[in-house]
Amino acid sequence: MITLKQKEEGIQKNGKKKLPFKERAKRQWDKNAIVYIFLIPTLIHFLVFQVYPFGFSLVLTFLDWKIIGDPEFVGLKHWIAFFNDKLAWKAIWNTVLFSIYYIVPTMALGLLLALIINSGVKFGGFFKGIFFLPVVTSFVIIAGIWGWLFRGTETGMVNWIISFIGIDPQLFLADSGQALMVLAGLSVFKVAGSTMIYYFAGLQSIPKQLYEAAKIDGASAFRIFWTITFPLLKPIHFYVAIITTIGSFQIFDSTFLLTGGGPNYSTTTIVFYLYQQGFAGLNLSYAAVLSYALFFIILVVSLIQRKYLGKETSLY
Amino acid sequence: MKKVIAYIALIILGFSFLLPFVIMVFGSFKDMKYALLDPLFWIPEDPTWSNYVYLFNNGIFLRWIFNSVVITIIPVFSQMLFCAILGYIFAKKQFPGREAIFWIFMAVIMIPQQLLIIPKYIMFADFGWINTYWALIIPELWGIMGVFLVRQFLQSIPNDLEEAARIDGANDIKVFFKVILPLSVPVVATVGTFAFISNWNDLFQPLIYMTKEEMFPVTVGLASLLGKEGDFGVEMAGSTLSFIPTFLIFLFFQRYFTEGIQMSGLK
Repeated sequence: MITLKQKEEGIQKNGKKKLPFKERAKRQWDKNAIVYIFLIPTLIHFLVFQVYPFGFSLVLTFLDWKIIGDPEFVGLKHWIAFFNDKLAWKAIWNTVLFSIYYIVPTMALGLLLALIINSGVKFGGFFKGIFFLPVVTSFVIIAGIWGWLFRGTETGMVNWIISFIGIDPQLFLADSGQALMVLAGLSVFKVAGSTMIYYFAGLQSIPKQLYEAAKIDGASAFRIFWTITFPLLKPIHFYVAIITTIGSFQIFDSTFLLTGGGPNYSTTTIVFYLYQQGFAGLNLSYAAVLSYALFFIILVVSLIQRKYLGKETSLY
Repeated sequence: MKKVIAYIALIILGFSFLLPFVIMVFGSFKDMKYALLDPLFWIPEDPTWSNYVYLFNNGIFLRWIFNSVVITIIPVFSQMLFCAILGYIFAKKQFPGREAIFWIFMAVIMIPQQLLIIPKYIMFADFGWINTYWALIIPELWGIMGVFLVRQFLQSIPNDLEEAARIDGANDIKVFFKVILPLSVPVVATVGTFAFISNWNDLFQPLIYMTKEEMFPVTVGLASLLGKEGDFGVEMAGSTLSFIPTFLIFLFFQRYFTEGIQMSGLK
């Protein structure tokens, strides 16, 4: 411990040569022992479980990693395979499509829930709890119920409900055109509660005087919403859009649990394809390429967030 | 008029959000053979314990619950302690490299878990951690997000108390346990509830690190029940049981969830 610490000291304070090294190290230790006792193990842990795997994953993409036997260097083979892999691009496209089905409805529903609760109804806290419940519930539980609700037969509950308004039974998860939407619906249900929390915080931070002034001017509720509430929530819209986008690119659980990527690959998302390649097909190197593709997409989204969010959050 | 619309919307939406949970709980008390024939099979009538009896006699289900408890409880307490200390260090202590290290942490948090899982699988296979609890416990002993939350929280607290304790001759350890930790109870509770939810509900990692049925946590175990047609009642009973701890945590710590979500987002 002490030698490591002294090494760090030596590097950090080379510039100042007022005290002998030992003396400086001792003073730093007396002052910051707690820092070194906890930070050094943490940094080692961080290097082993975060930084090293990140680097190793990149190395993997240039190797043919075999479960048994030595890895073989293959250069860009897996990357070239990725660019020519129709299924990989279909998986990316499916994921984009999933985002389209998922992001705006999640935001709209979250905003609606926040608006209702913020309107001063009684038992607001209780209902907030109900709307938030799916957020803390595991995908496995919700997917189990969702799969039953959207059974593609006449006795499926959703089919039974829509039969009252004259719609024929739908196949839902067994239909390549509908399956992804049903999965997106599951995610909307699961995540809208956390979107609501962001919007609720945003709504509470809008100054009350603005509403009072608008009311005095005789503005309708509809007009107040579109001219005051909605524009002032801009930073929240932006933030929520970014986090739901990042979340949507990592979607895996519902497709794994309910559709297995089908029918006809219509619900094969990036992470599901990565899982299939890596852990069902044992093609770990190719899965590493796919994981880097995912990383680049998320990185771009995050950088957009960093670039714009700094300016936008000034209100809060 | 506006109020009436708000209440109607509230009741409809509240009912819709609750319905899946109602179906889960009520459905778990029904004979499974009805689930496929009747969309309203879950309406309480002729309740039966048979699904629960089946799960308890099955034996492996209790093992799954036990596994989930192990891989959840240890990280929860470990994260509360380490994130509190590290958050304190990054918020209040002056040491060389503080900002740089924190900046690196915040950059690394953007790396998706799915990218790390492949190299980690290879590493853990080397360590002999596949099908052991280590694979799901050791990497979760602390978390960057938790450190971030505690740091944010402590930065907003003035140094007066800490300085007063120091004048009285308290060292860092004493300051941390006597002054900082009692002040940080809300944010540490947030860290704990987040850790609970993320570990208890995790499917992706145990799916990969745990290949033997007796090492499955309850999420992977339930996933293996899923899709076996006709087992819907059993599946709902299992879901209900695995949902109880989540629900209790949620009931008592809901405030910490929502505060944590707000803190992590809107700085």
